[in-house]
Amino acid sequence: MNRITTEPTDKAEFYQQMVQQHGSPLLILDCDQLVKQFDALSAALPGVKLYYAIKSLPHPAAIQTLDALGAGFDIASSGEIELLRAQSTRARQTIHTHPIKRDADIRDALRFGCTTFVVDNVWELEKFVDYRHRVGLLVRVSFPNPNTPIDLSRKFGCREDEVSILVQKAQSLGLHVKGLSFHAGSQCPDSGNHVHAIEQCTKIINDIYQSSGKLLSILDIGGGFPIEYMQPIMHIENFCAPIRQALNKLPEHVQIIAEPGRYLSAPAMKAVSSVMGKAKRGDTCWYYLDDGIYGSYSGQLFDHVTYPLTIFSDIKAKEQAVLAGPTCDSIDVIAEQINISPLSIGDIVVGHQMGAYTSATSTQFNLFDKAKIVAINQFVQSAKNVFQLNK
Amino acid sequence: MKTYCETLYDSYGQEFAVDKVYFENKTDHQHLIIFENAKFGRVMALDGIIQTTEADEFIYHEMLTHVPLMAHGNVKRVLIIGGGDGGMLREVCKHDSVEHITQVEIDAQVVNMCKEYLPNHSAGAYEDPRVNIVIDDGANFVRECKDRFDVIISDSTDPIGPGDVLFTSDFYANCKKRITEGGILVTQNGVAYMQLDEVTTTAKRLQPYFADQSFYCAAVPTYIGGVMTFAWASDNPALRTATAEIITQRFEAKDIKTRYYNPAIHVASFALPQYILDALATKA
Repeated sequence: MNRITTEPTDKAEFYQQMVQQHGSPLLILDCDQLVKQFDALSAALPGVKLYYAIKSLPHPAAIQTLDALGAGFDIASSGEIELLRAQSTRARQTIHTHPIKRDADIRDALRFGCTTFVVDNVWELEKFVDYRHRVGLLVRVSFPNPNTPIDLSRKFGCREDEVSILVQKAQSLGLHVKGLSFHAGSQCPDSGNHVHAIEQCTKIINDIYQSSGKLLSILDIGGGFPIEYMQPIMHIENFCAPIRQALNKLPEHVQIIAEPGRYLSAPAMKAVSSVMGKAKRGDTCWYYLDDGIYGSYSGQLFDHVTYPLTIFSDIKAKEQAVLAGPTCDSIDVIAEQINISPLSIGDIVVGHQMGAYTSATSTQFNLFDKAKIVAINQFVQSAKNVFQLNK
Repeated sequence: MKTYCETLYDSYGQEFAVDKVYFENKTDHQHLIIFENAKFGRVMALDGIIQTTEADEFIYHEMLTHVPLMAHGNVKRVLIIGGGDGGMLREVCKHDSVEHITQVEIDAQVVNMCKEYLPNHSAGAYEDPRVNIVIDDGANFVRECKDRFDVIISDSTDPIGPGDVLFTSDFYANCKKRITEGGILVTQNGVAYMQLDEVTTTAKRLQPYFADQSFYCAAVPTYIGGVMTFAWASDNPALRTATAEIITQRFEAKDIKTRYYNPAIHVASFALPQYILDALATKA
């Protein structure tokens, strides 16, 4: 169930102004918050190069901000490549992480300038034979994690004992495997699976070196760094402390990279929607918002998360209510069996932690427009200086 | 400091200091940039790969032009596929004996842009009355065209991207049909040390159509990784082994000024390193 806080109506002023200026529904992307998230994760994982998983929030302002901070980018499709190309991002700072690709996807990535790719099976390796002199490959290893809402080692990743076979096969095809990657799961409650995966990868890297002399020089530890939705989560520093310890046991030559998506983008965006109608059905007041499950709140379905909400009211009394989305489908309900102060038509509802997998997975069902994303605090001064130096 | 990193290879590459960007276009799913570099002058790159620079283009253009034209000895008609920068045209135009040159470029904008930003490449050659510019896909042109040429020069981009059709069996077969008896096809064929597959694949695809097929080489600094190979294909094997005496005679009769090409280089360029010969021998 969504946690709903009630703020006095005067606290709604900023959102009301934004809605007046840009319309409703809205998604407000705060680039300052992106910077804070990036800095926090960088501090928790010193020496780890961060490649932003742009699938979580493929927005130009997010890319520009993170590019200015020196982040790399994790891309998985030709559409994401086009977005990066438009932002003038240095292609050397990108990795293509989709384990399954068509030939056209590989060619698009190479034309963009991305030369690092991820594979987890022999058929995928064979797709690179024509490009073997141009690419470096990471082998994705599966470390299932039943404790996460989204287990990212089910659909992709080879078994640990298959790695050396794939590395040998690659060598026989003239392909260069330069490292390993894994994904410990999304929104992990603790870093136990990261630590386990790092320990196993350390063993694999050492074993392959001892048996064949082959150097694997990159370990991609994926994402999974949690942010707070409804449940309290570990502070990022505490979450990463065991990861740092595990990484210390890697051979010195191994460079470590990560693919954070949610951790960077989720806290950077808030959803602002408006009550467009209400009805009393039995004891329950139904409020119809102009954004819902088919829109920015799609993550409640696809991403298995529930967002904290804020309403604005000066009335103490509460009544049973439902917050529904605008479409004709009955599934389009954001929150039900909730007790909130009564709302009027035109009142604003704010959703928090709504940067990751929200607009990215929203649809235009019923041909309702997607919520417009408005970026604020873009090009903060510190980031801008770096931006100019690097370009 | 602004830099441009070539992204041709994952584990190796060249980096240029960028003094000034003259032109940048990121539309049509590609990225084209022309910038100033202190060492190489104006540099043009497409999709992360260096295409040409003012400082070292002469090596590439002279070798793809004068080697086939001198080896042939009596070239009247030349077809250039690609070559939108005009460098190839400039070199072909140096031959007074050439009566007609058709250049097929897929993108009219490339020609105009290069005239503006790389004017030293064409050096006025587009105004030569012998020149006929056709805006068409080169692969399509050789399929549809009825004319014949003594020399065809394929000045393409790399096989990933717009130039990929210029490395196919179909393209080579159609070139064969457009070549006069004893004519020559030469093509840009990549840096063999870095991409040996390009040499073996081209050999495999060209050999069914031509009695004599081989490669010749030149080192172009910004095509990094060793010598660049040029594919050579003709039905007359004698052209490839024309002696230094014959080439010298022809060269001296022409009064052409070159900076890389000379008769000794011409003959020597057909000598291939052993690793290329070995790869060709085992290509199967």
